[in-house]
Amino acid sequence: MPSVISISKLAKHYQVPEREAGLKAAAMGLIKRRYKNVKAVDEISFEIQPGELVGFLGPNGAGKTTTLKMLSGLLHPTSGSTSVLGYEPSKRSHDFLRQITLVMGNRNQLSWDLPALDSFDLQRAIYSIPRDEFKRTRDEFIEILEVGDLVQKPVRNLSLGERMKMEIIGALLHKPKILFLDEPTLGLDVTMQRRIRTFVAEYNKRYGATVLLTSHYMADVEALCKRVIVIDHGKLLFDGDLSKLVEKFSAFKTIGFTVDSAATDWSQFGDVVAAEGSRVTLRVPKEKTSAVTSRLLNDLAVEDLTVETAPIEDVIESVFAVGKDVVE
Amino acid sequence: MQGLRLAYNYLRIGIMNEFQYRANLYIQILQTFIALGTGLIGLNLVFSQTSELGGWDRTELLAVMGVFITMGGIIRAAIQPNMERLMEDIRDGLLDFALTKPADAQILISVREFRLWQLVDVITGMIVLGVALSQMNWMITVWSVLAFFSALMMGAVMIYCFWLIVTSTAFWFVRVHEIANLFEGLYAAGRWPVGIYPTWLRIALTFIIPVAFAVTVPAEALTGRLSLQTWLGALTLTIVLFIASRTLLKFGLRSYSGASA
Repeated sequence: MPSVISISKLAKHYQVPEREAGLKAAAMGLIKRRYKNVKAVDEISFEIQPGELVGFLGPNGAGKTTTLKMLSGLLHPTSGSTSVLGYEPSKRSHDFLRQITLVMGNRNQLSWDLPALDSFDLQRAIYSIPRDEFKRTRDEFIEILEVGDLVQKPVRNLSLGERMKMEIIGALLHKPKILFLDEPTLGLDVTMQRRIRTFVAEYNKRYGATVLLTSHYMADVEALCKRVIVIDHGKLLFDGDLSKLVEKFSAFKTIGFTVDSAATDWSQFGDVVAAEGSRVTLRVPKEKTSAVTSRLLNDLAVEDLTVETAPIEDVIESVFAVGKDVVE
Repeated sequence: MQGLRLAYNYLRIGIMNEFQYRANLYIQILQTFIALGTGLIGLNLVFSQTSELGGWDRTELLAVMGVFITMGGIIRAAIQPNMERLMEDIRDGLLDFALTKPADAQILISVREFRLWQLVDVITGMIVLGVALSQMNWMITVWSVLAFFSALMMGAVMIYCFWLIVTSTAFWFVRVHEIANLFEGLYAAGRWPVGIYPTWLRIALTFIIPVAFAVTVPAEALTGRLSLQTWLGALTLTIVLFIASRTLLKFGLRSYSGASA
């Protein structure tokens, strides 16, 4: 199947004014400005197939949002090529824009003082959605997200999570084929995050839409995305299955056990994460896990032994710590 | 025509929004009457000293005041709020939403806001204008009415273009909020026919900030002073300003980078 999103050597450089701190430097800035060239996105390439749910990961300032903005036509790339659904996004062709949507967790587009229903109506006009199709879609989304009693309240009276649900409904009424979701669960509680996730998954399943998602909550990515793309400092660090990423980068495993015997020097087995009372948690290099486990079981009377992979957050952190060279 | 449908839908939303704030209506009425009162007092003071000002007599100047109030209402109802929102959206990065919509960016950013209660000014201005016309000895023809409305329309478009040009500079300079105050100060000069001002100011009020075309020219149409030449000049300037503002906005959008998330 041909890819729906295809970018090649995509780059975006910004000219950012810079100066020393202080009044004098600020005044000098009026006369002569120094600029620094910042490579927000530095020649990244990837392809995404129709219907894929891809997690887009990276620390703050890695270039995720910049990439999403180039893909949705908001920013003109400095160099490289982008193709989304066969269109060049920066041309902002209406046929292209009709098939995509951009949701940003920290920004609202619904009218603050009006019930969401009125804002939905506006989306209908903007996207020229036929009336009955619009009603059908709207009611379907309202039902899935269970917000029937909220759509008539002014948006300003809704909680953050409720508002986000409305934002998502508003952003999907035209049934886009491609969803760019930038931190859609930002600031939401765990339950609400899960609801939004379920809805995205459901939408993806029902309409076969392609989703590119950025999130700081690894739970979002784990639950939704089989494939992840990791970038840092504008460079692509990893592109592949989430499980492969974990396998590749979780260099350590965590061994937890309960023991009766008197104080032993646990550091001979690995890094001691915690040793409180009879419960001990150790961190050991992946390849030594089985050796350490058998030593513990044979030599000492340990009970309730568990071996766990490092949490995905730690894995991601180690990806960024290791850097590009090691990944290749 | 998608543009008209968009405008209509945003107008609906804007009106619904305004209905939520009834107090604004009363404040607006109060403001309008204060402005009207001070305007009339000023007019009376001038004509207690003289019987004409730059070739305009008392009733004719009342007509100018009527146009001034009407145009001010139009600007504050439909033009200024949209441009101020555009400035804010450029600064906050909210323009992203407008730009990912399958609609002409210029239409979209120009119809999003509407301040219904400012229409109090439009109506009051029309009443003042009506009173002035009823006191005039001049016969109003169909042509002069047509000329008036076309001049009013072109005036509004020119003011819109002026605002759009100034607002578009926000793409590069980010903070241009002071412009709103500056505009209001200069627009106040439109209370009097631009002919009474010194040449340099007259030229500025005609070609830099098109206040002359927005207020004086429509008033000229109703008082039988408008020449075909001036009307054609207004038409030309409207077209030029429109093309210039649209081009500048396009350039601005190209360099829009949005506030980073």
